[in-house]
Amino acid sequence: MTSDSHEVSQLNELKIDLDAIAVIAHYKGNSDIIMDEQMPIFGGYAGGIEETTIVDIATSLNSMVMSSASWHLDGPVHIRWGSTNTRETLQIAGWACATLSEFTDLMTGNQYYPCAGPCTEMCLLEAAAQSVTDTSSGREILSGVAAAKGVITDKTTGMEARMMGEVARATAGMDIDSVNAVVNNIVSSYEGNYANAPEGKTFQECYDVATVTPTDEYVKVYEGARRKLEEFGLTF
Amino acid sequence: MTFTKSVTCFDFYDRAQKGEKCTQDDWDLMTIPMKAMELKQKYNLDFGTETVPTDKDQMERLFKAGFDMLLDCGIYCTDTKRIVKYTEDEIWDAINNPMPAFQLGTGRDSVQMKKREVGDKRKPIVQGGPTGSPISEDMFMPIHMSYALEKEVDTIVNGVMMTVRGKPPIPGSPYEILAAKSETRLIRNAASMAGRPGMAV
Repeated sequence: MTSDSHEVSQLNELKIDLDAIAVIAHYKGNSDIIMDEQMPIFGGYAGGIEETTIVDIATSLNSMVMSSASWHLDGPVHIRWGSTNTRETLQIAGWACATLSEFTDLMTGNQYYPCAGPCTEMCLLEAAAQSVTDTSSGREILSGVAAAKGVITDKTTGMEARMMGEVARATAGMDIDSVNAVVNNIVSSYEGNYANAPEGKTFQECYDVATVTPTDEYVKVYEGARRKLEEFGLTF
Repeated sequence: MTFTKSVTCFDFYDRAQKGEKCTQDDWDLMTIPMKAMELKQKYNLDFGTETVPTDKDQMERLFKAGFDMLLDCGIYCTDTKRIVKYTEDEIWDAINNPMPAFQLGTGRDSVQMKKREVGDKRKPIVQGGPTGSPISEDMFMPIHMSYALEKEVDTIVNGVMMTVRGKPPIPGSPYEILAAKSETRLIRNAASMAGRPGMAV
């Protein structure tokens, strides 16, 4: 028995394979903490925003029935942009989590897949918009950040997670009307740029690898993003 | 209807051998979209412009729609091509008996996983890491260390090592096992070198 999370993933949408069921038996046999993961696809089999949210709720409930999950790791993702930080996927995540928080005791997390890469303002703002949404809608865990959509080798760093955490701290306790205004301001600032999202830099390019320290360039980019978030209505 | 016993993964496996047959295409392209659309209309769902909802009446309808989606459709098993169904009481049994608060990590690096509410004043747990992103073998430890060095980060979520001893971790090969075990050990080392050996993964 450990105090780590042990992952099992459902398949899109409302599907599973028997290997996963055997893995659950193994975890339960060890009394492990079970993290059931699934990322519903907006624009996929379910369709639009409300339909995908319905499937998200069903998937989350299934994590309790089928997987005996200790917690469910969500992550509504946009079929075209491969991102969790679009207006549509944030709305799915916000409504699903708030509803589950209101009507169940299931604990959930959400995954972060911004379009832009590390050392760019857009990447940090994308992470911030989701952190505001997740923190205010009652998520227990924020999990990320897989910058550059999580598909380019070595394009993630600790700085994106710092932004996720600082924004969560700033958001906790905000009233929901203010939250919605802030999210709208942040998303409006980057949602026209998905097709041309800045690629950003690899870890080796924006950190001193030997000392594991971000470069001055990245610290300045971070400071700029933080100033913008203050203009958008966040108080750090 | 009162259920016989709580559903487990063993019941799921047994039902996956005997449930209704269905092709995966029918499930993906007919069952899921048609039922989701039907429930959206039945429960009159329209989120408008709010990202985080304030309309509790609509949230209750959304919960019922999600519950009905699971109850009416069940879960499709891709190996047996059969549908596993639950009863209403079986689903409620699981909802009513979640795992209570628990600890992630050990010692001074541990955090408590506790239920949060909408608008909660407590900051959520920050699970920092590449979240499944591809990571080169050389950079695996320093990249994970960059998360462990951030005080805002409470636990680590791993990236995927692209090679192990210079070879790709092909699924089903011994290299896959070596890569999985090496990832965990290197993350533990990264957390330890950051002065936080008890961080949960």
